[in-house]
Amino acid sequence: MANVSVRYYRRKNSLREKTVGLGKISNDDIGFDEDAMAAAIAALDEMAEDYPDWVAGLIDKLSEQHRRCVDSPEQRKSYFEIINSIAHDMRGQGGTFGYQLISDFADALYFFTHAQAGMSDNHVEIIKAHVDAMRVVIKNRINGDGGEVGKELQNGLEAAIKKYSKK
Amino acid sequence: MANIDLSRLSVMVVEDSQFIRSLIVNSLRVLGVGTVKSVDDGGQAIEVLKLVKENPMKAGMMSVDIIISDWEMSPVNGVMLLRWIRRHKESPDRFVPFIMLTGYSEPKRVQEARDMGVNEFMSKPFTVNALADKIFSVINYPRQFVHTSSYFGPDRRRQSIPIDGEERRILTDESPQVEVIRG
Repeated sequence: MANVSVRYYRRKNSLREKTVGLGKISNDDIGFDEDAMAAAIAALDEMAEDYPDWVAGLIDKLSEQHRRCVDSPEQRKSYFEIINSIAHDMRGQGGTFGYQLISDFADALYFFTHAQAGMSDNHVEIIKAHVDAMRVVIKNRINGDGGEVGKELQNGLEAAIKKYSKK
Repeated sequence: MANIDLSRLSVMVVEDSQFIRSLIVNSLRVLGVGTVKSVDDGGQAIEVLKLVKENPMKAGMMSVDIIISDWEMSPVNGVMLLRWIRRHKESPDRFVPFIMLTGYSEPKRVQEARDMGVNEFMSKPFTVNALADKIFSVINYPRQFVHTSSYFGPDRRRQSIPIDGEERRILTDESPQVEVIRG
């Protein structure tokens, strides 16, 4: 065995024993209980009602970090990291609960605040534009792509980005 | 159709966002998972894993059967946790199925987690169907584990399909360099 360079571990499937039993059943013939699936989906939908409050809390945190970026430019690096992390948190779940614009804006904010993106005063202004846009979405409960209002918000945000990117 | 009974299963959820964590934990419970433990980051997860091994009664669970972990957490993120589980000598179960929950879809990131021994990826946004799919996969389609000088984790090739370029996997079960461990 001195020359062994690869080991394959083929272990007993204890998870299957725990959940399906020892019988020989094809994977095509097993599944999750349909009632439990429906109940879990319903429970998730119910929790969606709390989503705007959760996001509103995060927007407040973003605002606070933005204020700190303005007040203490010398510590921007750490504030940008926090903003980046909050944006990351927000960008994942919006679409599930009907707030696609939150995911889109958070996604853009995430990329604007990554480590190599820069930390100028213009970047700080662009952060503010994102936070303001998200606040409008949540305050007015703008679902989906927001239709005309959503387009206006996106255009406004793009205009702000363009304006401050030029400077 | 036989139903999967999750009542004897113990799942640990590692997620720093309280809201997302509650979505996952609640979904697992409604799906019928017997024991669900949730923690804030990879460091806490390691402490729980150690405690389950040393004192399962105190830990409140006899085993951790599946780990569902976010990637982006502080101070110990999902990949650091995965590395500890797969490679650290104190890891109580180096084979435990690990589902990485992530907003990242960049190929480099996916490759990084794959090379660290992840079993499944679950992309955000989180949905019940995606969760059920991933759990189904780790239960019913487990892969052999591979141990080489540079890798320990589930076989990164899920299927035997022809590949473009040079075939790098030239060893078979019968090769003297290969040891097959069953159990």
